[in-house]
Amino acid sequence: MAATGGGKTYSFKVVLLGEGCVGKTSLVLRYCENKFNDKHITTLQASFLTKKLNITGRRVNLAIWDTAGQERFHALGPIYYRDSNGAVLVYDITDMDSFQKVKNWVKELRKMLGNDICLCIVGKILLLQTRFSGGAIVVVYSYAESVGAKHYHTSAKLNKGIEEMFLDLCKRMMETAQAEERLKGNGASQSASSRRGVQIVDDEPQATPTGGCCSSG
Amino acid sequence: MSRRTERRGIHVDQSDLLCKKGCGYYGNAAWQGLCSKCWREEYQQVRQKQIQDDWALAEKLQREEEAAYASIQGAQSQSHSAAATSQQPQAHASLTPFSKFEEKKTNEKTRKVTTVKKFFSPSSRTAAKKESQEGKTPSPSIGRDAGFDTDQVSKDFMDFLKNLQKPGRDIHKQCRAFLISLSNKKHDLGADELSECVQDFYQNLADRLIGHFKVSSESVEQVMDQVEKYIMTRLYKSVFCPETTDDEKKDLATQNRIRALHWVTIQMLCVSFDEEIPEVSENVVKAITDIIEMDSKRVPRDKLGCITRCSKHIFSAIRITKKEPASADDFLPALIYIVLKANPPRLQSNIQYITRFCIPSRLMTGEDGYYFTNLCCAAAFIEKLDAQSLNLSPEEFERYMSGQASSRFSSSNGDVTDSASGSDAMPSNPVLVQLNRNLDMLSDLSTRQEALNEAAAKLQADLLSWTENVKREVNDILERYPLQVPSRTVSAIDTNNIENNLPPPLTPEVFAG
Repeated sequence: MAATGGGKTYSFKVVLLGEGCVGKTSLVLRYCENKFNDKHITTLQASFLTKKLNITGRRVNLAIWDTAGQERFHALGPIYYRDSNGAVLVYDITDMDSFQKVKNWVKELRKMLGNDICLCIVGKILLLQTRFSGGAIVVVYSYAESVGAKHYHTSAKLNKGIEEMFLDLCKRMMETAQAEERLKGNGASQSASSRRGVQIVDDEPQATPTGGCCSSG
Repeated sequence: MSRRTERRGIHVDQSDLLCKKGCGYYGNAAWQGLCSKCWREEYQQVRQKQIQDDWALAEKLQREEEAAYASIQGAQSQSHSAAATSQQPQAHASLTPFSKFEEKKTNEKTRKVTTVKKFFSPSSRTAAKKESQEGKTPSPSIGRDAGFDTDQVSKDFMDFLKNLQKPGRDIHKQCRAFLISLSNKKHDLGADELSECVQDFYQNLADRLIGHFKVSSESVEQVMDQVEKYIMTRLYKSVFCPETTDDEKKDLATQNRIRALHWVTIQMLCVSFDEEIPEVSENVVKAITDIIEMDSKRVPRDKLGCITRCSKHIFSAIRITKKEPASADDFLPALIYIVLKANPPRLQSNIQYITRFCIPSRLMTGEDGYYFTNLCCAAAFIEKLDAQSLNLSPEEFERYMSGQASSRFSSSNGDVTDSASGSDAMPSNPVLVQLNRNLDMLSDLSTRQEALNEAAAKLQADLLSWTENVKREVNDILERYPLQVPSRTVSAIDTNNIENNLPPPLTPEVFAG
């Protein structure tokens, strides 16, 4: 993953969380295929999609993992978002219950993954006319800020806000990755990028001592 | 006269008649020109030698036979232990370097030759026949193939490395060194330590390729794929479901759990399959086959390949049913359904094995990784499945689990309307429909038989009571009309009759005249 021509290539895993039928599928299909509710959708599935980006000269491979949103699969969340770099939390702005679910997810994510994960809270708008009442919108934005997430309003049908949301998420994930690289110091910097988001952290200390079997050969 | 005899007879020299050994006695043509004493000596020697030779030959054949039998036994027990878990001898072989495999292969060859020889040798004909019959079935499929596979993998690996030249030699050296070092310490290490060793090796080798040889990241991925294939084929037997873990116990628990959940239907899981469509059920069958096939692969990547193929079939099935791309909301329940249907062998062991020994980048970000994660979710869901996760009431769930209720056929009280509605709601599996119809017919038959039995019992009772009745009636009548035999007075035929009825004897009348 290092030095192939220009900059380094980042590989990011983004999980897509949200209650069933809030429209995660159409959001991600719009982003990756630029299609909405179309007869021409040829992809077999919308649960695992990839997108290649080029941000400020850096190549980014984005892998978007959809998750089953039904309540009965809630307990399986940690298996999905293990080792992910970013999370997109989707709710329906007309359904405050789905926003409550988002709050639960955020709490869990922060507990399991700490601040390594970049969060985006996305309010899905079906029609442009749909508006929050003034009070609710303040609540939502202040909540997002309080948990270190960004809030967006998107509409897959109108293709509004999705591109920006993912772009911003990527930038933030790159920043996090770079900060982590710097933390690791100069010595390990060459392998750090390939390890980012890939290696289980626990292995890190053992890497040098057991490396004997490899370097002695 | 004497001259004539000499001419006509066979001329025999005096010396010819003597024993050939020159002992001075006369010899005999029947004893090859030896005298009786010399012949006995000679004959004894030859015979002794012959006996010895025969003995040696018999012994040799016996040994060969035993060897062949042992190897077949080995192959058979191997196949058994492959089904179970501990495969120590084979595991050892799989860890030793290339030369061992050559040895193994030649062993196989010689065994085959001796079997053929024995087939023709008369002394052990029957045994050889039996041997070859026994040997034919198990040995080619298991014993040889395992060795052959590993051989093939090493050969492919060598070929692949040849193209890489200098880094290739280095990779080969590293892999060999790693395998040897691991085989030395594998008995002291638990599964997690082994996994750590292998993961470190992957990481170090990849780093080394990038740092030392300046290999591009794409070819590093290729190399790592090959390295994984080579190493894990060798290590498979010793690190898959190792004894140090309770993987096997978990496998059994999961298997039993899935068996106990056989009653779960598509409707309960809210799977968007319409199995009435032939294409859908075809895809379901394919998906089940793929997920079962996973257990037979050795390399983590091949196992992941099976999961991916299974997932693709599921997506096709959903796509056909729903006419739109499947999201995770559809996919996960469907996968759970497939796992429940398939009950894949050694599911937990396989999941653990892939988690421990797969190249991490593939597991964390790749498409294979996504499907694998979903499989982990499915396994976790099945483990924790309860009434709530199927939208059932706890009582209902209990009834299903204890087998009192069945979603497929309500046989509990054989209610006609109930079973009819049951067969209406049935998925379109023709076998199940047929089965249900047969069950209906059987229950009908059994009720009819019961009726028949009742009628027969009634008839028997009737018959018994009828005779009783008849007897009673007869007795009644007999009592009511006791037998009165009028006493008959025997009298002489002529006495009173003649006196009373007969006209008086004629008296002669005298006519005057």
